[in-house]
Amino acid sequence: MELLAGLLHGFQVALTPAALMMCVVGVVLGTVIGVLPGLGPSATIAMLLPLTFKLEPTGAMIMLAGIYYGAKYGGSTTSILLNVPGESSSVVTCIDGYQMARKGRAGPALGMAAIASFIAGTFGVVALMLVAPPLARLSLAFSAPEYFALMVLGLAMVVLLAGESLTKALLAMFVGLWIATMGTDLFSATSRFTFGQAELLGGIDFIIVAIGVFALGEVLGALEGEKPAEVLPVPKGWRNLMPTWDDMKRCRFAFVNGSLVGFFIGILPGAGSTIASFMSYGIEKGFSKHPEEFGHGAIEGVAAPEGANNAETGGALVPLLTLGIPGSNTTAILLAALVLWGFKPGPLFIQDSPELFWGLVASMYIGNVLLLILNLPLVAVFAQLLRIPGYMMYPLVLGVSIVGVYSVSSSMFHLYLLAGFGLLGYVMRKLDYPSAPLVLGLVLGDSMEKALRQSLMMSGGEISILFRPIPSVLLAFAALLLVVPLFKKFNAVRVQVIDKEA
Amino acid sequence: MKLAAMAVRAAVGAAAIAAAAIAHADWAPTKTVDIIVHTGPGGGNDLLARAVVTMIEKEKLSPVRMQVINKPGGNGAVAAAAIYEKKDDPHTIGFITSVWIAGPLTTSEAKITVHDLKPIAGLILEPAVFAVRADSPFKTLKDFIEVAKAKPGTLKQSGGSVTSRDNIVRQSLQHATGAKWQFVSFQGGGERLAALLGGHVDIMVIEPQEAGEQVRAGKIRVIAQLTEKRLAGYPDAPTLKEAGYDVTTTPQIRAVVAPPQQPAEASAYYEKLFAKLKDTPSWKKYIHDNQLEEGFSTGPELKKTIGQIEKELREVYTQAGIKVVR
Repeated sequence: MELLAGLLHGFQVALTPAALMMCVVGVVLGTVIGVLPGLGPSATIAMLLPLTFKLEPTGAMIMLAGIYYGAKYGGSTTSILLNVPGESSSVVTCIDGYQMARKGRAGPALGMAAIASFIAGTFGVVALMLVAPPLARLSLAFSAPEYFALMVLGLAMVVLLAGESLTKALLAMFVGLWIATMGTDLFSATSRFTFGQAELLGGIDFIIVAIGVFALGEVLGALEGEKPAEVLPVPKGWRNLMPTWDDMKRCRFAFVNGSLVGFFIGILPGAGSTIASFMSYGIEKGFSKHPEEFGHGAIEGVAAPEGANNAETGGALVPLLTLGIPGSNTTAILLAALVLWGFKPGPLFIQDSPELFWGLVASMYIGNVLLLILNLPLVAVFAQLLRIPGYMMYPLVLGVSIVGVYSVSSSMFHLYLLAGFGLLGYVMRKLDYPSAPLVLGLVLGDSMEKALRQSLMMSGGEISILFRPIPSVLLAFAALLLVVPLFKKFNAVRVQVIDKEA
Repeated sequence: MKLAAMAVRAAVGAAAIAAAAIAHADWAPTKTVDIIVHTGPGGGNDLLARAVVTMIEKEKLSPVRMQVINKPGGNGAVAAAAIYEKKDDPHTIGFITSVWIAGPLTTSEAKITVHDLKPIAGLILEPAVFAVRADSPFKTLKDFIEVAKAKPGTLKQSGGSVTSRDNIVRQSLQHATGAKWQFVSFQGGGERLAALLGGHVDIMVIEPQEAGEQVRAGKIRVIAQLTEKRLAGYPDAPTLKEAGYDVTTTPQIRAVVAPPQQPAEASAYYEKLFAKLKDTPSWKKYIHDNQLEEGFSTGPELKKTIGQIEKELREVYTQAGIKVVR
């Protein structure tokens, strides 16, 4: 009853014209910066923060949150159309989304991204509302050993991201892990692989690598084609722009998977939406009846990660609002914003400021509906982008990538890095190395190394700390994931031998 | 002849001084002022700079707009180089933190350090407190240190980088008392707090603003303060000195610097600007809401502070076995 009263009160707050206006501004702005590669929600919120001093705090919070989850909707657009990840959480969407676009199914891919985002995003808000306090306590049970096991499980998914050759996938992953070690070591203040460059002291930003390897690699690969670059087929008619009923049915599991994995990873302060999207993609492929279609335009490969990164928003707000613990860059800025407006984020926040909490929750229901209404018609608009012929399209991709990287750091050095990783992406493509494992290694490597070293520092070097209950279960899953393909292979060989003998 | 020349020179000199004095009083920025910070948008220094810009606008202290320029990377090294490259630009300043002093000590990559820049004014001292979980057996810092002495290496502290203040105060306490406990580095402040609240570590150094709400909710207890005198928000927790530990705490500063050859009149303008800012109601409210300590100092004082902090850091790093490269 208390819940209903709270929610009712929340809708009273969120449905006032002023609050509704802020919600619209937030989600539209979020979609726009989501579409632009490089510029992310954390940078946008930080830059808008000074403007919010003049606003009423509940409205301002509704707007900033709208930017936060709105960006997750927009992030998939360039991933699908241009193979340029719009946000770090949409990197994995490139894999199947871009392939769908190449097959003339850009519309359904974009539509499915919006629908999955809506379903999982709404699930995230429901879960935030219903189970926030108990789940927040669960998130505290997670510490370094648990994170380590989670990251190992994530890395084991390389098996699922591998194409023809597991060896090549592993090699790519190790390059990713190596890049992740670059920069100043947190534990000893030692520089690693900085080659005397001050710019490398902070390591290499993952989005630069992702844009270089995916987008620039694609452009370079297309340039050398002897026949004029192909124009991607453009779907015609509303029916072909939207996912079919069959698509929806295929994605049933992806909706559930994305919602649960995204929300769960979201409540952990040490993980993040990029990891959530990779995890749900891996799970989707692992449990799929037709895993061979993944990487060639499987629609579940879009639905699962796009759902996960939206459910993650609801999850990430759990430790922020119930414990006062920010788990990501963006939530840290939201925390700073609350302090600046005179609130006291912490364990008593919901109790002290019910109006803001329930207003925010209600606005997120409204915001997700608005985003669906906003994004579905945009599908038709964005799909037209594919009409642009290659000689215009590829320079456009190049321009968007460069502007995206430069806008974040205004550093020429980062552009040289981008060019370098573009070349790497091209070479990998030529030699048939999959690029997703490289990015996976880069995303997880840093967190995994830190978690392992933190665990061992906590236990005084005792390895047994890694075999507490939760990590044990996660590590067992990882082992299973690694071993099963070997059995399959063994079985295949055995069948061949039997066939020969017969 | 010689005498006449001297008289002329003296006259010219006097005129020059007078002119400089007028300019000194008159100079004001004529175009947008860039504030260079070393974090990306949303980082601690970035948020401070944006708050300062807003306050200066609100209090109408500057005739021109100010904008924040992000030069992230290298613990301040990239931003330091960016400020240095501006040579004599009167329209650029930068916001520094203690990280700018600590970074170059342990990393040789940084070519330009805070010593190559012109100190303008100190702004803030960031206080911190020692906190334990509310159900912890340690009622005082002494309880904690006694156990750390009796069972060395079993207790754990969560904190930031090994070069951060969290570890410096630990090293100093260990050095002074002979106690030993583990230091577990976490990248983000949220993770450090989560590790304490989850019972994975025993103690942490935390910002008073962050700790305040956890204390009010009965989740953690503050057992000592890393401050000169007790903070208004924590009247009952003793300072380290009061608790019986007279050790180096190395203040965490936030301050303003400028390009090395910035004209004196421009630098003087900025020093005065921040001197004015510190007396405004907006600033007082900011300091109060974020539970910070006022730390205004003039350029020459700031230079001295930086030198002092560097000396202390060098000592503690050497004690702790962290490699000091310069």
